[in-house]
Amino acid sequence: MPSSDVVVVGAGLAGMTAAIALADAGARVDVVARGHAATHWMSGGLDVAAPRGSVSSANGLARLASYPGHPYAFLHRDVRPAIDWLRAILATEGLTFAGDLDQPLRTVPTSIGATRRASLLPTAQAGALEPWKPDERLVVCGIAGFKDFWPGAIAASLERPWVWGGTTDAGDRRSPAAVEALVVELPGIAGRRNLTALHLARVFDDPAWRVEAFGVIAAALRRRGPGPGRIALPAVLGLADHGAAFDDAVRALPLIPFEVPLISPSVPGLRLFEALRAGLRRRGGRISVGEEVVRVETAGRRVTAVVAAAAARDRVFRTSGVVLATGGIAGGGLIGRADGTLVEPLLGLPVENPGAGEWLAPDPFDPAGHRLEAAGIRTDAALHPVDGRGRVAFANVAIAGSLLAGQRYLTERCGDGVAVASGRRAAAIFALEGARPPTERVKAGAGA
Amino acid sequence: MTILEIVHEASFAEVALSADECLKCNVCNTVCPVARVTDLFPGPKYVGPQAQRFRIATLLPPQGQSTPVVASPDATVDWCSGCGMCTTACPADVKIAEMNSRARAEMKAGRRPQLRDWLLGQTDLVGRLGVAFAPLANWTLRNRLIRMLIEWTIGIHRRAPLPVFAGRTLRSRLPRVLPAADTEPPPDRAVVLFHGCAANYYEPHVAMAAIEVLRRNGFETIAPEQVCCGLPFISNGLYSRARSKARRNLGVLADYARRGYRIVGTSTSCTHTLKAEYREMLDVDDEDAHAVAAATWDICEFLLDLHEHGRLDTGFGRLEETLPYHAPCQLRSHGIGLPALDLFALVPGLSAIDMDHDCCGVAGTYGLKKEKYDIAMAVGDPLFRRVRATDSARAASDSETCRWQIERATDRPVKHPIEILAAAYAAAGESPAATG
Repeated sequence: MPSSDVVVVGAGLAGMTAAIALADAGARVDVVARGHAATHWMSGGLDVAAPRGSVSSANGLARLASYPGHPYAFLHRDVRPAIDWLRAILATEGLTFAGDLDQPLRTVPTSIGATRRASLLPTAQAGALEPWKPDERLVVCGIAGFKDFWPGAIAASLERPWVWGGTTDAGDRRSPAAVEALVVELPGIAGRRNLTALHLARVFDDPAWRVEAFGVIAAALRRRGPGPGRIALPAVLGLADHGAAFDDAVRALPLIPFEVPLISPSVPGLRLFEALRAGLRRRGGRISVGEEVVRVETAGRRVTAVVAAAAARDRVFRTSGVVLATGGIAGGGLIGRADGTLVEPLLGLPVENPGAGEWLAPDPFDPAGHRLEAAGIRTDAALHPVDGRGRVAFANVAIAGSLLAGQRYLTERCGDGVAVASGRRAAAIFALEGARPPTERVKAGAGA
Repeated sequence: MTILEIVHEASFAEVALSADECLKCNVCNTVCPVARVTDLFPGPKYVGPQAQRFRIATLLPPQGQSTPVVASPDATVDWCSGCGMCTTACPADVKIAEMNSRARAEMKAGRRPQLRDWLLGQTDLVGRLGVAFAPLANWTLRNRLIRMLIEWTIGIHRRAPLPVFAGRTLRSRLPRVLPAADTEPPPDRAVVLFHGCAANYYEPHVAMAAIEVLRRNGFETIAPEQVCCGLPFISNGLYSRARSKARRNLGVLADYARRGYRIVGTSTSCTHTLKAEYREMLDVDDEDAHAVAAATWDICEFLLDLHEHGRLDTGFGRLEETLPYHAPCQLRSHGIGLPALDLFALVPGLSAIDMDHDCCGVAGTYGLKKEKYDIAMAVGDPLFRRVRATDSARAASDSETCRWQIERATDRPVKHPIEILAAAYAAAGESPAATG
């Protein structure tokens, strides 16, 4: 008897999206992950496509879809509905987003005083997306004792208009009229010098405390004088009660607030993971973190069981299908060998690797990116992995997320769009195929 | 120790040298329940892989006169409760909790143990005395004045959830219910019960329920001589004492394991100790340890395995109730999922709700200690609120110390899942003669 209809390996954005979509379709789904994934490191926004020269995500998406071998070449029509679908699910769990694929990509500030381009951000970060009006200033507000958000350095960098990308083709500034730094001492933590983002986020979950804290920030802003503008705060405004915390900030502060994501652990990333996890559990899906999948059992070109290492003996998940969302080189889905080759350690799938033997690029900051970025597993349009001759290697395995070959998620900023679109398509394909193989399940059951 | 020896000593390398895999991503800090509630503990990353560099340095050959070999002088690792959430969350396979436990032991090695830490490890001695004088012992431990005295003198918090001694030990009751030792059934019809101290001295009914459920499924129970698994000593950093417990248990259990018997336990922390901690913490890494680890099963894991092979009697009667369920932190370290919930799903009418909370706070003996009691209560607080909010008559959890902690904090009985399953069989009206 299979214990799961589908096992999803990996608990990142792609794996969780696939699992939610599968559970939504009524499948028994188990997510198995060796630890927490990139959600805990990411900015919390959804990067769909921002290759150089693109003006909007939709425009970038169309451009990437024209690249031969790019996942968007066969996924691009899925992206928009998949993002809308996921946004609705996350909103139910209290995490809302602003922006869309059609509005222009904007330069938004980062916590080191650089900028990045975005068009789809959590509501709490979205205040940075609006174009700057000519008289608007930006106050970069840090918290005394918190060293991962250094307002003086950030403001000094953001004062330079070229950091924001200069002016638009129409001659409008992309940057605020002025940038100032502000440091506030917040009640009860003023004497501390070892604050972490996580600690602050939990303090902001306390409704009484945060009203007082926002009062302190508001008073400091008023002392700076009147005038329209916005205030950039470190992304620590609540974890479990984030929605209400941000509403309180909007109410209390005289400037428009927005959060700037920080180094890991990323509070916006934690919020995203918790919302995904809640959405999965609400649909009856199960998740086991801390169980590393070490091998699979196969029969012909099908995976029949996924085996996770556990104390003393392996845990076997008998299953009718597998979504492999183990990530790329950074996530451990691909492993580099000393001879420069890349291997996919779980199924031994053939890895498409245009950068083999070229680990050390002549220019580490080459705007075109590193060739290894595009390495990954080649699939057919149903996301089944294929070998060098295009034959399906495993008929009941789907690949999702940054393990897919042909994307350069760092330079093209397409990782989240690929994750969500491929995760949902993987689920849809299993739902389609799941309509067929009750015979498959009976067979597996008879063997047990 | 030379580098070669370090590399070749597998269990040491698996734990201590895994610090090298740390990416400094802080994921462990996001899941640490202790760091969530107190500033006294800087978090698993700092006391674990980061401080580990200093500890490792003491074992490596000096790199020259400018690099004197000093141990980490930081003692904050003692605020770690050992719940293990950090190890499960780590994306890079760093054995953080195990590293911290070893560091604590290292800190305490060669020093005379604190009376309290020694006492908390002496579960067999305390249990035997307590049961022998049960009425007096239970009265004493309920007396507020005496509990205050105990707090002042020994350091066990006056409100800490101490269990109630049974009138008789489990072992003294077993001869009536188990087959005689000379008629041990073969391994396909019997399992070895590792009952642990909790079932022997405090909750014999839990083991009795297990024996009944096993019998209903065609398995007799064998209960060879055994001592405390040693975990309370491990948690308190007293490794050499824990090792002697390990040796005695392995001496008895390994023979059964080799003959093909499965070793089943009702205490999820004892079974995890047999499965993993003898090796990962105590460096007891011989053939006996491997044989016993491979043969050990948590009771719910065992029953679910029977079910997956179509061998579980699913003739459960109806239990019309809502049952809040807490998965202990130690259970998560098994890496077996939440088998109790899968079993509860087979009982008609029973609506078990996963409380979805990391740790009840007590983490074995951590929350009993005077200086750690408040931390433990704060760690468990969201769980206690959720249990209270369910408006149920009772709750369930696999670990005894969790049960006592939740019982004390929520004022409602907390049962082992096996008791719930035994009740479900009994509700079917054809249970074998009820015992206990």
